[in-house]
Amino acid sequence: MTSELPYAADAEVSLSYDELEVLRIQYQKELSQGYVTVQTKFNYAWGLVKAPIREHQVEGVRLLQEIYRAEPTRRRECLYYLALGHFKMGNFDEAKKFNALLMEKEPTNMQALSLAQLIDKGVAHEGYIGMALVGGAAAIGTLLVAGLIRRATRK
Amino acid sequence: MAPAATKPPTPINCKLLLIGNSSVGKSSLLLRFSDEQWLPEDESSATIGVDFRVHKMEVKGKKVKLSIWDTAGQERFRTITSSYYRGAQGIILVYDVSNRESFDALPRWFSELETYVSDKVVKILVGNKVDKEFSRQVPTAEAEAFAKRMNSLFVEASAKTAVGVKEAFTEVVERIMDIPELWDSTTPGVGKSSGQMPGGTNVNLAQENEQEGSGGCSC
Ligand SMILES: Nc1nc2c(ncn2[C@@H]2O[C@H](COP(=O)(O)OP(=O)(O)OP(=O)(O)O)[C@@H](O)[C@H]2O)c(=O)[nH]1
Ligand SMILES: [Mg+2]
Repeated sequence: MTSELPYAADAEVSLSYDELEVLRIQYQKELSQGYVTVQTKFNYAWGLVKAPIREHQVEGVRLLQEIYRAEPTRRRECLYYLALGHFKMGNFDEAKKFNALLMEKEPTNMQALSLAQLIDKGVAHEGYIGMALVGGAAAIGTLLVAGLIRRATRK
Repeated sequence: MAPAATKPPTPINCKLLLIGNSSVGKSSLLLRFSDEQWLPEDESSATIGVDFRVHKMEVKGKKVKLSIWDTAGQERFRTITSSYYRGAQGIILVYDVSNRESFDALPRWFSELETYVSDKVVKILVGNKVDKEFSRQVPTAEAEAFAKRMNSLFVEASAKTAVGVKEAFTEVVERIMDIPELWDSTTPGVGKSSGQMPGGTNVNLAQENEQEGSGGCSC
């Protein structure tokens, strides 16, 4: 029985173009109506931070910082995804700083501990968990966009 | 990352997903199973988004590499976690035997499954925290009957005392091994085909993941 460390699931798998679009459209829609819910903003920021494109990651981090400031109840996940976002961009000092803030509050948080190890290794390698693990014939054809639409637009 | 070159004893890849209300003990079950560890009650943190473990084991003479995705039960993470259902071969639905509400929430979790995964996927219902027998709110027989109705395996467990934990994971994997179409890419897949799109957009997301060298197992 062995298990491999460290890991950061959300750093590995990005959304498809269409999945991210669902989150973006919901965000834009609320923006144009003059009020963006925290949930919509957070979902979109999360999708952006996971993206492989740097401009997306930058935008995601920016939104997370806004949420962090405005919503004390969302701080722990903001800290985690801020750390993750900076890690992915290769800003290891920033990543460390945010992750340390989370660990200050939750010293035994396994996700934060694991992310800390990844940051220390200092390499934001793409896809080390890799799709290889996700394998399986059952993967074929699952329509995630459906769920995301349902989720993202539900109030 | 293509496993093409290495031939014979490549393990079978198997994706498991842990779902259920917040605080029922999903992360604790995973920690117990993969690291044989237990964190004191006040030291464990609610999962942020999703957590992940790789675990190797041997089942029925086959080497299996499990990737276990431990989703956050808190409502605020539902959009995030829904994106992780893709490709799961086994689902572990957890409730807390000392918390009626977590059991009553199960139909909702099952309907999530209907949306995201094929009905061939192996499901197991796990009643966690049996060490709290004195404050039990969900009778074993009731949960067992429910599991049967939902076409799921069933076991009671305790991440704290380790009772039933290994059994829960092993049973799912054994059952998956009994159904080659879930992991053997040479048999027809059981993916959920198009159709249930509440939003109307019809996009096949699977392709881009399939080509990454691994579609199915490399056994
Ligand atoms: N007595 C007892 N407590 C448990 C058991 N399993 C988990 N707990 C406690 O229940 C609380 C929640 O456990 P977690 O494993 O974090 O629950 P979770 O389902 O992962 O919660 P989310 O990540 O929010 O979805 C923690 O305080 C654990 O110590 C168990 O078998 N017995
Ligand atoms: Mg958890």
